[in-house]
Amino acid sequence: MVYPAHHRQIVEELMSGKFLLNNEEHFNSLKENESFYTEFFKVSFDLELIMKPEFCYLLSKDTQENFSRDVSIFIAILSYELDRDGRNFIESFDFNEFTFEEIDNYFLNSSFIDLIESNKTLRDNESRRTLLNGMARRNIIYKTFEDRFTFTQAYKVFVEFAKELALKRIKGEPETQNVES
Amino acid sequence: MIKAEPRTILNFLNTYFDVVRDLFEYQQQDGLITKEVFDMICHKHGAQMKSRLREYRVVRSIGSDFEMRDVYFKLMEFLLFEFKPLLPETIEKYKGAISELFMKIRKSEHSDRDILQERIKNLSGQVREFVDLVERNAFRLLAETRDLKSNIDRVQYREKVHKASFWIEYYILPLNRILDVNHSESVTSKLVEVCEYANRKRLDYSDETTRSEYEKLYTQLIQTNQDLLKQSKILTNELIPLLERIRTESLILTGFIEFLRNPYKVETPPLLKGTRTMVYAKDMYFKVREFFEQFQIEAPVIVENSEADFDRWIFDRTLFKEKLAASMPVNDFFGWCFKALKKDFDQIETDKFFAVTGLLFDEELQIDYSKKSDRVSIETTTSILDVPKLKIEPAIKL
Repeated sequence: MVYPAHHRQIVEELMSGKFLLNNEEHFNSLKENESFYTEFFKVSFDLELIMKPEFCYLLSKDTQENFSRDVSIFIAILSYELDRDGRNFIESFDFNEFTFEEIDNYFLNSSFIDLIESNKTLRDNESRRTLLNGMARRNIIYKTFEDRFTFTQAYKVFVEFAKELALKRIKGEPETQNVES
Repeated sequence: MIKAEPRTILNFLNTYFDVVRDLFEYQQQDGLITKEVFDMICHKHGAQMKSRLREYRVVRSIGSDFEMRDVYFKLMEFLLFEFKPLLPETIEKYKGAISELFMKIRKSEHSDRDILQERIKNLSGQVREFVDLVERNAFRLLAETRDLKSNIDRVQYREKVHKASFWIEYYILPLNRILDVNHSESVTSKLVEVCEYANRKRLDYSDETTRSEYEKLYTQLIQTNQDLLKQSKILTNELIPLLERIRTESLILTGFIEFLRNPYKVETPPLLKGTRTMVYAKDMYFKVREFFEQFQIEAPVIVENSEADFDRWIFDRTLFKEKLAASMPVNDFFGWCFKALKKDFDQIETDKFFAVTGLLFDEELQIDYSKKSDRVSIETTTSILDVPKLKIEPAIKL
């Protein structure tokens, strides 16, 4: 059997929880063989392959995942603070480079300080570095230098989540709740 | 009929502009001017004010209340640039009027010349009004959208979404349909049709004065179509994307704020759950390396060698206790300690001697003091110690 080009890299990266981005060479191979990989991951590992025009990723049935929650809180607070600062946060995510220092300033002066201090991955500069390194490993951000980064299009997963949540709340639909993790 | 001279009315408007503006604002806000408001505004200018406002036909009575006459209302709207956006349904009525006049013009092509020319002039008037309304509406919508974007009124995100959706759904998209030249039912496409017809007739109509009317209509419509195209571009290129962005951004922020209210009670986007790595896994090497890398950056530790010479001898209590037990009973405890040390060392330091004498406090020993108060002398490297002679025996267990 002949496997698609970059098969090993595709499987290894997706299985390690990475987002594959459309500017990467192996993304095209994955896109060309979308139906094969959808079936491959479903049959082999019972995982769902999510294909978007700009990125793709795998997800498991078990959604009790703290990393996703921490990233969601991080992006939510940053969006709120950027907007409060008069910046268009979607444009900033798309085109701007952020420095760690800038992020620290936003978080230190945030009105969500109670939430930040109670979260061990966000409470101080060091823990935020660790979270950002984790996000870089998963291709949610791209580190341009040691202390600078840009967002990749993978941030849209979290933005879509917020949009859906808002629509549910506006329509008055009850939100499915998690057991506190 | 107005008796006053036009200049007198204009002078009145100039002198009492504030009064007319106040009346305009109330009319704009509430749709009419209540008697109480009317009395309040006119009160400070004396009784003559009310009669003048009626005489110059600025206001008219509606029961006990008042309303500003349309011509003044429009004048004030124009002067203050305070246009209220009109629902596109209101603007669309011009399509009916224009179509009706156009149809009659075509049918009466060869009938009475005067009525044909009147209809052409009327059509031109309707087009003028239509363009004017479209321009005012687009201007007002743009101003409203920019206000919403800058959010000076501190409108809540949810309210912003609602407002943006409202403007798009009820004003901008219907207005865009009216202006869409590619849509066969739009007013603009009707105007293009009229324009083509006027173009032909201005050249081939038999009567010269009618040709001249067609010529004017044609020139007006060419300009009108350009203006409408400009307005349509503002709507499609600026207003709709701007409002869409406000709606999207506000929606996302609403979602994030709702999420941050209680982030631990909402399901976050599912991602791939991390798996436990076995020691024989392929990527174990990288994971271990990553783990150890975090310790790589360490503050330098400086160790200074002490130049002071010190004996590393450590007292082995168990060993000496065994030796003591083997020598029991001991008549001279301190003498025994000295001799025991002497077996290992040539020179006995005072601290070594004291360390061994600590055995005396063992509870398993029974100490007898000499009745004669006999004393012995112990010589260490630094001191001569005068100590009592103590007899040691194993304690009797009860």
